[in-house]
Order: sequence, then C-alpha cells, then structure tokens
Amino acid sequence: MSDFEEELIASLPEFLAHALELEVESRERYRDMAACMELHHNPEAAELFNEMARYSELHVREVLLRAEGVELPAMAPWGFKWTCGESPEVRQAEAAHYLMSRRQALELALCHETRARDFYLGVAMRSESAEVRALAQEMAGEEQVHVDLLTRWIAGADHGVPQEDLDPPNVVA
Amino acid sequence: MSVPALKSTDYKSPVTPIWCPGCGHFAVLSAVTKALAYLGLPREQVALVSGIGCSSRLPAYVESYGFHGVHGRALAVAAGLKAAREDLTVLVAGGDGDGFSIGGNHLLHACRRNMDLTYIVMDNEVYGMTKGQASPTTAPEWRRSKLTPHGPGVRRFQPAAIALAAGASFIARGFSGDPSLLSRLLVQAIRHRGFSFLHVLSPCLTFRPDEKEWKQKVHPFADSPTSNAVEAARLIQADDGMSLGLIYAEDLPVWQPASECSASLADFEAEFRL
Repeated sequence: MSDFEEELIASLPEFLAHALELEVESRERYRDMAACMELHHNPEAAELFNEMARYSELHVREVLLRAEGVELPAMAPWGFKWTCGESPEVRQAEAAHYLMSRRQALELALCHETRARDFYLGVAMRSESAEVRALAQEMAGEEQVHVDLLTRWIAGADHGVPQEDLDPPNVVA
Repeated sequence: MSVPALKSTDYKSPVTPIWCPGCGHFAVLSAVTKALAYLGLPREQVALVSGIGCSSRLPAYVESYGFHGVHGRALAVAAGLKAAREDLTVLVAGGDGDGFSIGGNHLLHACRRNMDLTYIVMDNEVYGMTKGQASPTTAPEWRRSKLTPHGPGVRRFQPAAIALAAGASFIARGFSGDPSLLSRLLVQAIRHRGFSFLHVLSPCLTFRPDEKEWKQKVHPFADSPTSNAVEAARLIQADDGMSLGLIYAEDLPVWQPASECSASLADFEAEFRL
C-alpha cells in the first residue's frame, strides 16, 4: 500500500479536527487493546494499554478545550490528511499479540507515540499558518514527553519469560 | 464548536469485543461506526444481522438493532427483515466460512434478488473461531493446519466473480489495514440501492500470522470502477485478489415485496375452493 501524497493542513479548525480525531482514535484503540489483553489473561500489557488510553483521554480533553468557540469542519472519515492513510497513532495495531510481554507492549506504544509526534512535527514544519505551526509544535512536544517516558520504561524493562500458551492455535508452527 | 448529532463512538456498544489483539475485525468495527456516524443514521433505524464466526460477533459491538443468527443464514434473516421493514438500513456481516461455504447458496440468491442490503464479508481465509481450519478462500497450498497438513488442495472460492455472476449490483474490496478507504467503501455500499457486496480482507493474526504481509501486498485497483458487468468481469478475472476499491456499481432492479396485502382473505379462500 503506497503512502498518500501529503496535503497541507491550512487552518486552525482543520488542525484541531485532525488532533481530535488522532487522540480519540488513539484512546479507543488503546482501550480495545487493554480490554483484549484482560480477556486473554495478560494483565501486564492490559495495564500499560489502559495507562496509554488515559494519556490519550487527557489529550482529547485538551484538544476539546482548545476547540471551544472554534467551528470544527465536518470531515469524512477518509478526508483526514494523514500521511499514512490512517490515524498515525494506531497504525501498528496488528503488532499486538495476546502473548506479548510488557516490553513488547511498551515498544508498540512507543511506535504509536513516535508516529503521533512525527505527525505533529510534520504539521509544525510545513503548515503555512503560523498559528497552526505553533500549536502543532506544542503538541509534538507533549507527544515527545510520552516518547521519552516510554523509552525510559523500555530501557528498564527486561524481556521477561515468554508466556506459556495454554490454548495454542491448532496450526503447525 | 459544532458537534455532529452522533459521533462514531456513539455507535459502539458497551460490550467488549473478544477478538484477539491485532485482529483485523477491530478496524472493520471502527469503519462501520464511522460510516454510520458519517451518514447520520439514527441507531434505531439500523439493523446489523450476522451468522456465526468471529466476525459475526459484530452486532454485539454496534449500538443498533442486531441479530446474531444461525451459521450461514445471515442473508436469509436479513432478507426477511428487509422484506418486512423496508425503512431500515440493513447491514449483514460475516466471515468467509459463514458466507461462502455454509451460507454459499444464500449468497447466490441474495445477489440475484438484489434487495437493498449491504453485505460485509470479513475474509481472513481461515475458520478462526474453531481454531484454524482451511476455509473456502484458503490457498490450496496452505499447510499450516493440522487438519490439512498437505494443504486443502482445492482452488479458492472467488467471491467477487461469484457475486457478479449471481447478480450483485455493487462489488468492492476493502482492507482492515486501510480504514480510511474501508469507511469510504462502506458509505458507498450503504448508499447504493441494491445488494452491495463488500469483500474485506481482514487478517487473523492468531491462526494466519502470514497475513501480516497483506499490508505490503494490497494495492489500488488499476482501473476505474465500472457500471458495466462485462467490463467488471474482465477486471475481476485479471485481478490478483489484493486490489482495493470499488469494482462495480450498477443501478439494477431492486426486489422488494409489497408491504401490504394485495388480496383479501376471501380472495385466498376462493383460490382453495374445490
């Protein structure tokens, strides 16, 4: 699948609509993954994804606060100007696995947070609106905090003992 | 700030999906809720009908009317519902086993009738709920199932070609790894008046970890969509099965039975009089 041609985000309302979509998607996907991990008896990964969902929820609230009094454009689900065809913070969801270790979960979260930071950085570098560039730079900084935090956690996380699959797929390995 | 009447999250039910982490069906669920929100469809005007299988759990996760039906019979149930309630937007969901094997005959006649239904088939080329057996769309050489260690050895079912030949008036292919396109195709499919067949490549990473590669294999259809069935047949036959987008849409007569009786009880009695 080829990446989409980049289109520039031109206005503050358009940028806020993108930020809101990105953070809502992120929150929903992290919640889904946390619930999955709980169901599959992987409490460590569930706890981490729940924590990431809480961070995303904080960002959702922050974006909503900034959007107060701003008329956000109604956007079709396919109308967002992502550079990778979908919301950047959920792109690697297929890397999740019910046996994943805490370290693997951290690495997946790091991948998502890095993509979110890069999206905001890209807008901060390329938008023609100074207002958009400034806010995007600020949000990239907030994502960078998550990137740094996850990087520290990964550095302190061991690879753990591979979990035993008590009900393995009935397929040849 | 203007807020749409319902957001996509308003169409998500409080029931937690029990799919495996990384399952493609999560993206299909998300695309369904986004399409419904985009179309502004009231939740009470939508019914989601399914058969049996992992993908058929979808109605439980969508905040609309739903019916988790019998294996392979989702289209029969949906057709009955649509016949009785033309006003409802009826979506049908299922997997490749449910739709192409157990429900294969229902698929043919649903296409032929061309009732105004949207059929979403989440194809992962495996029976996942029963732990990984070959399905009608599994490649003949797939040897990872312990039940078919030498591979199923049977040519794959060709969903788009069969749907076209049977009379479906809308045929498209989406991919769970491209949710933007998937939402768009869903909106087009729901808006299309007639039987819309949406074939969705939706990897099962537990039993088919090789399907992670689909993200690199899919590509847009080389040709524009057509409203000509002959041209659509050529496109489908030339396709490698990994092309994404709308293939075919044509306005064809939609079968919808009259909702009111056209004869009185006396008329019926007269027909049975000896």
